[in-house]
Amino acid sequence: MTDISRRDFIQVTSASAALLLSGLDNTVIAAPAKGYPMKKIGNIKNLVENEPFAFTYPDDQSPCLLLKLPNEAIGGVGPKKNVVSFSTLCTHMGCPVSYSQGRLVCKCHYSMFDVSRNGQSYQGLASQWIAQITLRFDAVTGNIYAEGVEGLIYGRIGNLKLR
Amino acid sequence: MSLFKRKDSLPIPPVDSEKYTTVCQYCSAGCGYNVYVWPENRSGTARSNAFKVDLTKQAQLMSGFSYTETMHNVITRKNGKKYNLAIIPAKESRINKGDYSIRGGTNAMTAYTPTGITKSRLKDPLLRKNNGFVPISWDAAVEIIATLTKSSIDKYGADSIAMKFYDHGSSGLGFEDNWGAGKLFLSGIKTQYLSIHNRPAYNSEVWGSRERGMHELNYDVDDARLADTVVLWGANAYEGATVFYTEHIMPNLRGSSVEEKQKEFEAGEPAEAGNIIIIDPRKNATITVSQDINAEKVLHIRPNLGTDWILANAIARVAWENKWYDNDFLQKRTDLKTFEEYKTKSLQLSKSLTALLAEAENITGVPVKQIEQAAEWMAKPKAGNFKRRTLTLYEKGIIWNMKNYDQVAAIAQLNVLTHNVGRVGTGCGRLGGHQEGYVRPPAPTPGSIYAGGPPKNVDKYITGGGGKIYWVGATDPYLSTPNSQFFKKTIHNRATNLLGYLEQGGIPADPKAYAAKVLEAFEKTNGLFVIVQDIYMTHTAQDAMLILPAAGWGEAVDTSVNCHSRLLRIYDKFMDAPGIALPDWKILALVGNKLKALYAAEGNKEMAERFSGMDWKTDAEVFLAGSHEFGDNKVAEADEAKLSAECYKGVTHEILRKLGNEGIQTPVRQDPATGKLIGTKRRYKYSFASKDGLFKWYGTDAWTGYPAEVSKYINNPTYPYWFTTGRSQHVWQTMYHDKLIPEKYLSLPLPYLEVHPEDAVKLNLKSGDMAEVFNEEGSCLALVYVSDATKPGLVFGIMYHAKGSMNNVISSYTDPKTTIPWLKGTKVGVKKYNGTPDEAIKTVSLLPNNNFTM
Ligand code: SF4
Ligand code: FES
Repeated sequence: MTDISRRDFIQVTSASAALLLSGLDNTVIAAPAKGYPMKKIGNIKNLVENEPFAFTYPDDQSPCLLLKLPNEAIGGVGPKKNVVSFSTLCTHMGCPVSYSQGRLVCKCHYSMFDVSRNGQSYQGLASQWIAQITLRFDAVTGNIYAEGVEGLIYGRIGNLKLR
Repeated sequence: MSLFKRKDSLPIPPVDSEKYTTVCQYCSAGCGYNVYVWPENRSGTARSNAFKVDLTKQAQLMSGFSYTETMHNVITRKNGKKYNLAIIPAKESRINKGDYSIRGGTNAMTAYTPTGITKSRLKDPLLRKNNGFVPISWDAAVEIIATLTKSSIDKYGADSIAMKFYDHGSSGLGFEDNWGAGKLFLSGIKTQYLSIHNRPAYNSEVWGSRERGMHELNYDVDDARLADTVVLWGANAYEGATVFYTEHIMPNLRGSSVEEKQKEFEAGEPAEAGNIIIIDPRKNATITVSQDINAEKVLHIRPNLGTDWILANAIARVAWENKWYDNDFLQKRTDLKTFEEYKTKSLQLSKSLTALLAEAENITGVPVKQIEQAAEWMAKPKAGNFKRRTLTLYEKGIIWNMKNYDQVAAIAQLNVLTHNVGRVGTGCGRLGGHQEGYVRPPAPTPGSIYAGGPPKNVDKYITGGGGKIYWVGATDPYLSTPNSQFFKKTIHNRATNLLGYLEQGGIPADPKAYAAKVLEAFEKTNGLFVIVQDIYMTHTAQDAMLILPAAGWGEAVDTSVNCHSRLLRIYDKFMDAPGIALPDWKILALVGNKLKALYAAEGNKEMAERFSGMDWKTDAEVFLAGSHEFGDNKVAEADEAKLSAECYKGVTHEILRKLGNEGIQTPVRQDPATGKLIGTKRRYKYSFASKDGLFKWYGTDAWTGYPAEVSKYINNPTYPYWFTTGRSQHVWQTMYHDKLIPEKYLSLPLPYLEVHPEDAVKLNLKSGDMAEVFNEEGSCLALVYVSDATKPGLVFGIMYHAKGSMNNVISSYTDPKTTIPWLKGTKVGVKKYNGTPDEAIKTVSLLPNNNFTM
């Protein structure tokens, strides 16, 4: 289980190291912050390609989706490293985003986030990439767990700071 | 697993944080922002904080308050202490109402931090010595420049000094810096070889409108919500002036401004969701977003490159033929003598309508049906015979088109013919790129070829061996000037020759001896002494002899106006400039004052006098000094057209600080009775800006094909593709800040080229490949996106990028009437690049940025 995560980690690290060599600094790998709950979201057997599964994380006011993509994705888990998860609150002004054709689209001002590329806002108004949920995959059971959030969920001062 | 460090919580400003108001440093929209600064070790609470927002709860969508990862930073002030900095879109600004774009959302990230991403900011004056730059003091730098400038003027004349400086607002410190540059170069040095940041000469890009009596910024943001039809002509509003589109055009298309219309329109006048006409060879995101909102309300017209004025005249002719004009307005407000010339040359009344339209279709490639529909949407009276209200905004696709003067004049005249200026929901002018803040003594060339011009082409002058000193301020012509590869090569050679001479026998350490040796080099070589004044090392600076570190946005007090309301606001100082960097006006004043002293010392009173009036102590003093240039503004409302568009006489920094995000709209008048300062919402309701107040018509040229610089490629199979350029939503200008921000450089890692799917098949290209774009002017390498935004036979490239310029292939053609270049069109060959692709493509998104469908 953690084995796969570790391989992902190395994979992305090598891409980042290459970026560092080409003169783009500040590209670091952030470890998930402490204090996030571990939450079982589903099982790989039940995921259908390109059909998002909705859940909330780290609390019930933060809608997210879990997604099996056709190809490997940055931060993806599972045997094909193609299972990813994101907050569905647009980082621009908090409207809900929907999934289609490899990206999350917000119809409020048309920001679009590439789900296989770390949730980068490749078009639109959002200056912050959408928050990606860190996943853990259990290779024995096929279970998928959320275990952290990378990036700030829109509309909160801290991901774990609602009262 | 993030590609860069992410945050999952943000510091909270305590109630007593320092609070400032500012305006975004980037685009023409000029979104309002609030700035909070507080010591790093202090914190407010979720309930009690300077934002006055309850942070204990999950925010609702579109609440108007956003505080994201990219809106916070930690700065170090000159006192050595660290402070939190939050830069938040202002909900109370009527420009953005809390909205912001991908560019402005990262304002905080651009703040200087000694160890963070902006640590490479310039901190000291740098002198090139023995193939490297060494820091020197301001005294030494000023001594060198002033001595060299004086000697060069005395020996070779003022024209031996050439300059290229920005003249805008926002990221440059608007009125203050522009007055400083104006005093030094226009009053003091008095060279004719002046040029403005992105172009080879010193000119307006819209003399075609101004010489008609219509300044290009004549509307208000409200007009975009109130118009029956918005026309965007070569103006990619969604990606270039983003929040103006999302807050003012989008609501109109969605029909959510109908109630506002009902209030503002005449009784009984129809008010519906607006139409939009977008004239652009590409199907860019402005078009596809508009179509996604309401496709029936969108007319997309795709003219052949360079042909827009023929299209504008054809639309005008259809309006004329249908009598969709207000005869009373034409008679009273426009000059009927020149109108005859317009009717003959532009409307071509001697030709039948059918013949004219057939000819227009043939030249522009636009079907007659679309020309007729455009005329209808722009000019056909509404039910009940109410005049239609059309707001027409053009930008780089027009001003940087072939035949700049005629393009702009044709669009201005189409809108005046149909009385689409000076009324609610109308206007005709620029969408704008950056904000404005122009106040300078009169320029040596007052206008186009019809008004004392054209101005000198500085690029041609210095690449042809002219000039001794070339002073570049906050612009990077190695990337941004047309024909940039040739420009770069030539300047590099001249700079290298100068350096080579200086290095023989060693570069003198003493500033006076150094200057003496440079003068020797001027005699013995064709050397050019390049001075670059900027906030970062630039491409051009690599060939500079002297680099001067400038203060940036937020590091000095700035005042500017936005483009869509001419809203004057203060952009306050909330942090310190790095090292000993100074505001541009101060650097220019140091040199001016030194020149004055040098001339005074040798008893040359006349020359000393030319450099007087630059002994300002504060930015507020510079602002005040500039205001006198505007003349008397004690005029009645009906005489607003007599005022210069950016007139702010009577306004002070103090007043603007009190007005905060509200600001005041230029031209500002002082009420003749009360002396009260009054802004101007919308222009030309009563008269135009000509001597007699009448709009001056002009007969445009007929179509005569493409200029030699481009026509040489036509029918040449080596260069089969038309090439045009533009900008990306993500980044600002040369990416001077954005190249350091991971959210930006990872998404836009390389210069890029859009290729239509049909051409991609022919060229064996797919998204993520690299391609070489080339012609006889030069070449460049770009990342390929296969995209239906372009047409078959047309490729599109980002104009320039931190990693390279596509202006390398742009010709040196300029409009002979204005010396404005055609930056937007030429022909090229395209070839797949078979070398190793850049690593960056592993992480960049390759999804098409104009497809919003679900
Ligand atoms: S739209 Fe323009 S002014 Fe507004 S935040 Fe974006 S870049 Fe800044
Ligand atoms: S809220 Fe999503 S783009 Fe504005």
